[in-house]
Amino acid sequence: MEPNGILIYGELNNDYGLRPVVKQLVTKAYELKPKIWNQRIMVCIIGPRINYDGIVQELGKYGADEAVIVNDNNITEYNPNFFPEIFVEIAQKYPPRIILTGATCQGKEIAAYTAAKLDTGLTADCTNLDIGENNLLLSTRPTFGGQLTADILCRSFPQMATVQENVFKEVQTEQHSASAIFKWFDINKSENKINKLNTIKKSSKHKDICSSDIIIAGGAGACKDNGFALIYQLAQKTGAAVAGSREAFERGFITKSQQIGQTGKTVAPKLYIAVGISGANQHLTGIKNSGKIIAINKDKNAPIFKHADIGIAGDLFEVLPKLIENFDTYNKKEENNE
Amino acid sequence: MNIVVFIKQVPDTNDVKWTANNNIDRTQMESIMNPVDKQAVQAALLLKNSYNAHITVITMGPCKSVEVLKEAVAMRADDAAILCDSKFAGSDTCATSKVLAAAIQNKYPDTDLILFGQSAIDGETAQTGPSTAARLNLPVVSNVNEITDIQNDSVTVNTENETEKSVYKINLPAVLCINNYVYQPEVPRISGYIHAHDYNYKMYNIYELNLPENSAGIKGSPTFVSKVYRTNEKRECKIIDITKEENYCFDVISEIKEVTEN
Repeated sequence: MEPNGILIYGELNNDYGLRPVVKQLVTKAYELKPKIWNQRIMVCIIGPRINYDGIVQELGKYGADEAVIVNDNNITEYNPNFFPEIFVEIAQKYPPRIILTGATCQGKEIAAYTAAKLDTGLTADCTNLDIGENNLLLSTRPTFGGQLTADILCRSFPQMATVQENVFKEVQTEQHSASAIFKWFDINKSENKINKLNTIKKSSKHKDICSSDIIIAGGAGACKDNGFALIYQLAQKTGAAVAGSREAFERGFITKSQQIGQTGKTVAPKLYIAVGISGANQHLTGIKNSGKIIAINKDKNAPIFKHADIGIAGDLFEVLPKLIENFDTYNKKEENNE
Repeated sequence: MNIVVFIKQVPDTNDVKWTANNNIDRTQMESIMNPVDKQAVQAALLLKNSYNAHITVITMGPCKSVEVLKEAVAMRADDAAILCDSKFAGSDTCATSKVLAAAIQNKYPDTDLILFGQSAIDGETAQTGPSTAARLNLPVVSNVNEITDIQNDSVTVNTENETEKSVYKINLPAVLCINNYVYQPEVPRISGYIHAHDYNYKMYNIYELNLPENSAGIKGSPTFVSKVYRTNEKRECKIIDITKEENYCFDVISEIKEVTEN
């Protein structure tokens, strides 16, 4: 069968809604579609037996043509054993030119497994996708710790790529709707080699950095004394989410889900405040889609200042307390003026 | 219990030097064992102590990569092999997983547990572990924080991803991708280094792994780089020196208010 169109993994969140990255990938696929002879955009969803009408409708709005829904009462959550197997089966049944998944934990696992099973190439953590020479998928990704950017092509089909959440924007199209193909998958037929014994859904003790308008992130400079305590204090006052660099994660000041950069998350808040972050490229790749970037660093020559809109050249232990203190004063002043 | 840990030598990307022509100066770069791979070695060493496991470390790369094997043997790995052939050079993850799977099938078929680091700091693809598992038809679990128990036929692990922390019990043989900083790699002793120095490292080429000539390296890699350029996305930055401008607080706070009040 001639490979046709774009297949996207429709990852669901804990509430069985579409993860934002799925809508973002569909948006991108819709943009690429005219360059590959308007071939179909198909989304594969694996989940429990629930009503998918809303999801299919939503996918249509972003430009998807078809939704393949593999559902089973026994599928309540992701299983690293049979989810990748199911996805491979769908990719074999409807061979696509291009396969896209989110560069999430699930998406990466599924993509890597699928690429090996189909003996094809996969480009991870792409920062852009386009159709290049010979109508091939042109995947752009940072390499060498973000110091270099590479454009990568794949000579076999399907051509596969993963993209982190928030690298692309989700945009609805007018007058477009998806149709749904339901597919029954008997999960008992494959031997289950992986059993989940226990799961703790993460509590939202920390604000989700991906959906936050303001992020305050700490780096190596904040990993001493009470640097992160100050960051949390300012975050609480401003309603911001707290995040950090790889070093902050390695030194235990933040969790993995708060880590920003190439090994962590890509974020696109309206305002990003980098505190004591020098600006390693691997961190910068994760923040470049931010609206505004404010950097606070005592080293005037820190690379972060070349990638910020406002640079505060000063010691964070002097700057943060002042911001915390003045944040309220500023409020009061405003109220007084009114 | 036979455990294989796949490790990789990587350039220390935290310390990149540039040439006058804006190229990475590889001659000036330090090579290190990929940090998270070292933790996978450490995870295996803990099993060696408590479950009498036999640990083999394998790397794929140029002859120089034997350095990371030496380090792992000094840490007390039992056996070490390098997959080294000019025909492997330029392998992407598709070709690499093919070579690694062939090494297991042809040289270490009695392996019970295969460990990888979650991703390498030079490529960051996190693909090699799951791709190798797929080729071996073995179950794979990624983002493993800790191996909590191992039996003759199963391994129990803690994992953590964006939304949940989970405990999995996986049938052996299996592949695990280790991703954490719980395992603090031990510093080898002098006696370890002496042992590593004298150790007879195994070396396998493409024929010894029963792979066709075109199955690996550049020829066996479906992906190829069409262009590489230095990353450059600068912004116009207004720099405020706090020793000179007292009012910097209001600049920052108004930016915050701009977002929160709209």
